Amino acid sequence: MGKYIIGRIIQIIITFFIVMSIIFLLFRIIPSDPSSFLLTPSMTAEAKETIRKQFGLDEPIAVQYFVYLKNFVHGNFGTSFYSGRPVMSIIMERMLNSILLITTAVIIAYIIGVSIGKAIAWKRGSKTEKFFVILGLWFYTTFTPWLGIMFLWIFSFKLKLFPLGGMITPEKWILDPSLMEKICDMGYHLILPLVTYVLLWFGGYMLLMRNSMLETLKEDYIVTARAKGLKEKVIKNKHAARNAMLPIVTAFAISISFSIGGAVLIETIFSWPGIGRTIVEATLRQDYPLVQGAFAVITVVVLLANFVADIAYAYLDPRISY
Amino acid sequence: MKEIENKKASQIRQIWGLVRKSTFIKLGVSIMILFGIMAVFSPIWININPEIYDPIIGVDPNVHGSVGPSLKHPLGTDDIGKDLFSQLLRGSQVAFMLGMMVSVFSTIIGAAIGLIAGYYGKIWDTLLMRLADIILTLPRLPLLIVISGIFGTQSNWIILLILSLTFWPIISRVIRAQTLSLRERPFIESAKVSGVSNTRIIVKHLAPNVLPIAFYYLTVTVTGAILVEAGLSFLGFGDPSNMSWGMMLQWCFVKGYVFKAPYWMIPPGLCISLLAFSFYLIGVGLEEMVNPRLKKR
Repeated sequence: MGKYIIGRIIQIIITFFIVMSIIFLLFRIIPSDPSSFLLTPSMTAEAKETIRKQFGLDEPIAVQYFVYLKNFVHGNFGTSFYSGRPVMSIIMERMLNSILLITTAVIIAYIIGVSIGKAIAWKRGSKTEKFFVILGLWFYTTFTPWLGIMFLWIFSFKLKLFPLGGMITPEKWILDPSLMEKICDMGYHLILPLVTYVLLWFGGYMLLMRNSMLETLKEDYIVTARAKGLKEKVIKNKHAARNAMLPIVTAFAISISFSIGGAVLIETIFSWPGIGRTIVEATLRQDYPLVQGAFAVITVVVLLANFVADIAYAYLDPRISY
Repeated sequence: MKEIENKKASQIRQIWGLVRKSTFIKLGVSIMILFGIMAVFSPIWININPEIYDPIIGVDPNVHGSVGPSLKHPLGTDDIGKDLFSQLLRGSQVAFMLGMMVSVFSTIIGAAIGLIAGYYGKIWDTLLMRLADIILTLPRLPLLIVISGIFGTQSNWIILLILSLTFWPIISRVIRAQTLSLRERPFIESAKVSGVSNTRIIVKHLAPNVLPIAFYYLTVTVTGAILVEAGLSFLGFGDPSNMSWGMMLQWCFVKGYVFKAPYWMIPPGLCISLLAFSFYLIGVGLEEMVNPRLKKR
């Protein structure tokens, strides 16, 4: 097992280096001044000088590459053109906001999806199954912004039940409320984006669980369990579902990658200050240091999530030996 | 010879029988046909009065600001007087064209790479699958946004290219897996022993056997392509010289009419979802047909 883990870590580091190098090259192909990815006319001469030294912009490209990597390891991505703040601190804040939204959503979608998937696999061929499959598929392929806008229109604009976006109500926070009140306020803002997210993703988990269950149900040990006279409920939960869960575990962590992509659209619609929205705004504003940094951080997170998934899967499946 | 022809004919009849039975495929195809009709109707509608109904440059001089549906403008107009119905019809053309082209492109590239990696193995396999893995792990939309930001999205061809870039890896992985298992089969070995060239083996013997799974991905990739293109256009990274459903939503959003003009906001989003949904339905139906493990007992 140890060997496998080390092998995977090496793989991840290599992948990461390749992606970082590609980003490095891409940003230097930018048609205008090659150093325009870190400097901007509105910076003072001193600021420009500092950045020049920090990133070795006068040096040959090979040297720049190593300086870039060194800076990266220290978390130095330069300064945002738009706000003048260090890129890393912006990203750290936004990343936390995204993680809050995404993790909650994925967990809830997972629980709902897997439960329904388990139930309908058991009822193969019934109308219930067809209904849920089509429902899940519909929400899976619904255009994310449209779903979000519809919810906002109905529940926030017309019924005035929820806020029109954002993560907090600044007016309330200025009054320095208690932690409980702060959490409630954030929760209140979290609900609509969360519901949108869950609706979009539950279908995926549901279908995975259903397919996995259907395959498991064909296995011999299910026939044995029936022959032993075990109750249907026991067979369903202890034998079939437990084994069907294996691919779901992998899917859970891998879906983090998809979730970040989906977060881009949801965060934009609901004005949620997360990393997805950051990348969109930064790209539109041509705030290259921020774009580069945000993308790098997203890549790290995704690679880590995949790594955890692999290890979890190897740990859970007793058939795999290292 | 006649026996072989009859066998092929009965195989096709078998497949057609399964297709007819699948609710998913029937539903999916019906919706798809609806949008096909829209796409075909687009130039006809524009011809009624090109000055008003052209989706890119047509403007109704009698209209100021966005108005609701009427006889002249079945879906109303946008804020500068452009007909929304024409835009919707043009959007369905774009959705079909782009969706299908991205899908065909990605599937051909993905299948080719999968076959080569699976068949030749060793260094080719490692290199190609590493590349596929790297692209696979990166989240699609952020990656496309960053690429758009650097290279710009002035033309549909660039959009086509970068979208295909993100869809081929999964296809190649799946086809490579199939190739790996087919490679060991006796009929491949006998072909090799008879001196058939590698290329011919791949093209004549392996390729036809990966066709079913390639077809499945051909269908679901259209879904992905439509949704991703709509997403990019919605965020502002689309091709400004063309009109797509995503762009309609973007204009609506950017000009501040999302809540004021439901006739502008609802149709494009609904169409994107429905068309994407229809293709995915067909894919699910195909998957049920092809995957013996999921067959009803």
